[in-house]
Amino acid sequence: MATNGSGTSHGIARTSRARTEEQRHQELEKIRKYRELEDQVRSQAAQKEFGPELFQLTSKLLRLNPEYYTVWNIRRRSLISGLLSRRSDGSSPLTESPISSQTATTQASSAVSSSSSSDATPPSHESQTTGKSGTIAEDSRNVDGEHEHASNKQQDSDATKAAAEKQDLDVLKSELAFTIPLLLESPKCYWIWSYRLWVLEQAIQRLQVPVARRIWQEELGLATKMLTKDRRNFHAWGYRRHVVATLESASLGGESMVEAEFDYTTHKINQDLSNFSAWHNRSKLIPRLLDERGADDMAREALLNQELGLVREGLNVGPDDQSLWYYHQWLMLNLVDHVGKPTIVPHFTLENRVTYFMREIREIKDLLEDYKDVQLIYESLVDYTLSLCQLEERQPNADEKGELVRWLDKLRKLDPMRSGRWTDLERDIGLKKLRQKQTQ
Amino acid sequence: MESLGDTLWDVVICGTDLQQSLLALSLSRSGKKILHIDPNGYYGGTEAAFSLQEAESWVTDVAASVAAATNGTCPWRSASICKPEAAATEGQRAATGLSFPRAYSLALAPQIIHTRSDLLSQLVSSCAYRQIEFLAVGSFYIFKASAPAQASKEMGKPTLSRIPATREDVFSTTAITAKAKRGLMKFLKFVMDYDSPPQTESWGRYADVPLTEFVQMEFKMDNELQTYIVTLTLSLDGRISTKDGLAVIHRHLTSMGVFGSGFAAVYPKWGGLSEIAQVACRAAAVGGAVYMLGTDIKTMQESSDTHDANLVMSVELSSGDTIKTRMLVRASVQDHSTTGDGVSGAMGISRLVTVIDTPLKSLFAAVVEGSPTPAVAVIAFPVGSVTTATGKVSENPVYVFAHSSDTGECPVGQSVLYFTTLSTPDSKEILMQAMDSLLTAIAAEEHAPRSLFQLHYEQARGATNSQTQGLIFDFPSPSLSLSFDDSSLESVRQAWSRITDESVAEMEYMTFPDREGAMSDEDEMYT
Repeated sequence: MATNGSGTSHGIARTSRARTEEQRHQELEKIRKYRELEDQVRSQAAQKEFGPELFQLTSKLLRLNPEYYTVWNIRRRSLISGLLSRRSDGSSPLTESPISSQTATTQASSAVSSSSSSDATPPSHESQTTGKSGTIAEDSRNVDGEHEHASNKQQDSDATKAAAEKQDLDVLKSELAFTIPLLLESPKCYWIWSYRLWVLEQAIQRLQVPVARRIWQEELGLATKMLTKDRRNFHAWGYRRHVVATLESASLGGESMVEAEFDYTTHKINQDLSNFSAWHNRSKLIPRLLDERGADDMAREALLNQELGLVREGLNVGPDDQSLWYYHQWLMLNLVDHVGKPTIVPHFTLENRVTYFMREIREIKDLLEDYKDVQLIYESLVDYTLSLCQLEERQPNADEKGELVRWLDKLRKLDPMRSGRWTDLERDIGLKKLRQKQTQ
Repeated sequence: MESLGDTLWDVVICGTDLQQSLLALSLSRSGKKILHIDPNGYYGGTEAAFSLQEAESWVTDVAASVAAATNGTCPWRSASICKPEAAATEGQRAATGLSFPRAYSLALAPQIIHTRSDLLSQLVSSCAYRQIEFLAVGSFYIFKASAPAQASKEMGKPTLSRIPATREDVFSTTAITAKAKRGLMKFLKFVMDYDSPPQTESWGRYADVPLTEFVQMEFKMDNELQTYIVTLTLSLDGRISTKDGLAVIHRHLTSMGVFGSGFAAVYPKWGGLSEIAQVACRAAAVGGAVYMLGTDIKTMQESSDTHDANLVMSVELSSGDTIKTRMLVRASVQDHSTTGDGVSGAMGISRLVTVIDTPLKSLFAAVVEGSPTPAVAVIAFPVGSVTTATGKVSENPVYVFAHSSDTGECPVGQSVLYFTTLSTPDSKEILMQAMDSLLTAIAAEEHAPRSLFQLHYEQARGATNSQTQGLIFDFPSPSLSLSFDDSSLESVRQAWSRITDESVAEMEYMTFPDREGAMSDEDEMYT
């Protein structure tokens, strides 16, 4: 089960409680009931009785244990064999095909989709007990009544199609709603998220584009809510990227959302500077952003300056924050390690790059004025000074060597556990032969 | 039914001020026989909250006792309602824009309570907190008078500048230079650990020197940053010592986020500390205490009880009853004009309470996403930022607590402002000017806020320590501190120890289980 044991979840401890005899009995009873339910589900599934009864049982069992992925699969199969409208493989509800309206209304549950029609047949008798499908047969019959002439078969099949889509929409929405309380309790359970994704994919396959799109937009809203609850949930960030990518894709008639997503990372960073995922996402968006804006050299340089300024403002108030240093390093990598990679300023000459490096080193040195004991500052200074030398294909000069020795001394004091590493590095600088650049 | 005189009371408590009420709460499960009286017809005493009519009566009473020079033992030096001038009839009142009198609950004690305050932990451990709704105290602002006249003699509009409260706030603000930001961050980090070496060595020699000097010397803070720091301490003279100032700021910083993100202090709905006093009395009443409002002590005398050898106090009440009690607890009876430190004209505050006809929404915006909407905002006028029409300049800071209607203290669509400054001959004028300046600063283009009601009073502080004389225990005079001062709780505990049997453990103080019928949080999870 998801919540046993102790541990932390972003700093929120999960506590284990001492158990009295009575509590132990209660738990044994719970276990017994659970096992009974599980046996029922598995036996019905083994006998391939994928009906609404099994579907209801999966609801009960999943509420108790959302991590039981086999049961999620059973639920999927129950939906496909019953509650969701029947279709033959690989076709979408948009393709038209002739169908006799009479067969549509008179089919009973025994009608398996052996027919070649791609249109929906009304749901089985059994699933009418769920209440949703009861109206479909009636609707079809009404449609029948309105168009007495059976010659208007196309209209009938359209209506049936619309009815099937409505039914699917209701079922899919209901499934999404089913997962919500489970997500609130277990926000990091992979199986719930993957089930949601399956439902969302079904929406694309079964529903009209505008309808499916609306559902996916709501999904983006959910991803935003999850990130409001826990802004560093990297599952939620990955999920968000997937949802955004789908919304942008042709299957939902979408267009690029890169500007809005970029602004969203700005918003999250302003809420909490220490947000690795937000900075990371930002770095992923920038190359695309520049491309889509059709940014020229000047605009690109402006963006680089803007980003460096932003992260430096952050370092100014949070110099011990690793996520800020990671982002700064990514920006610097754009200057140094740009061959064959999407980079912010591909047009920069060596001279430009050196200028920027030197400026950044100067700015970081300013931080030392007030932050004398922050390890990450010294690490970055050593790192960037060596990178600058490599960029210019030279050894550190006398001044730089003096600085490096001082900084490494400081690092040995601040980080005594790794003093060996700092000593090694010092030795390497002294002896290091400059490697020729391999490319370019 | 037993009459009052038949009972040998364990304690008679006079006054339902906060301290006395907390004492009653602390004894509410003890089985002790408690008689709790109050000369007023309302609960709360010096921490009461008033409807408009109650405010008017109170003003009349205070004015009368000042005139008769009988107000020596109570904290009030003066009280008046400056606006509306006359609103005796319904029609007159309606014309003022005020709602009906009971729509208001103006607090005499609008103190904010830091989340790390002992008061809150005691309210929790005693289970009394369940009956109180706490609201968030949001942003702190500094009033900035605009730059003075240019040739055209036009004053620019004054503004409110929000004090950055979190690292992200400091990050985003454009009002401070990069260097100054570093200084501020260093100071905040320093304060978090101020109580241990090596920090104690840094500030040790500045202990009794004003905090502003310390931050200037050791952190190179300019005037602006010094103002931020001092405002966080709510220091009434702006010259709080380094020792006290660091403690207060430490409490503020460590209180951030304790009950939710984005706020460091809370405020009880329906009238601040008066609500806590009422809840405490209610709890005591449930525990068997007898309450009598509108009852005062006429005379008292020590005598010996016929049943045991101990001395008891024989007290004649204004109700005509004469009762016997083992102990009597009262508010301070020391004359406020001569305080313990021998300075005549004790330290006092001047307060202006005003009702405004707009909701002042911009002051109560939640800054951190997902945090509760604040109901209280704090605005500080630094020294020298108020200049009256007659040319008087403020020599002390003026602090304003802005309350939205969420506090229940006024109807929706209105707000209440509580102005406080040290009492001086000019303080009333200064407060009036501060009010005008503030209303100008927050005036939106369409609507200039109007003041509908103004109550002004002066409150002094007398004895700062409790006093015991025989069977009588006197609480100290209420603290004038704008944020709740935990040291007030000391006297409550002292009184409790004197009344409680020695067998009761100290750690049981203010710690009670929920009464039957009330569910604890744990139980709720499993239903």
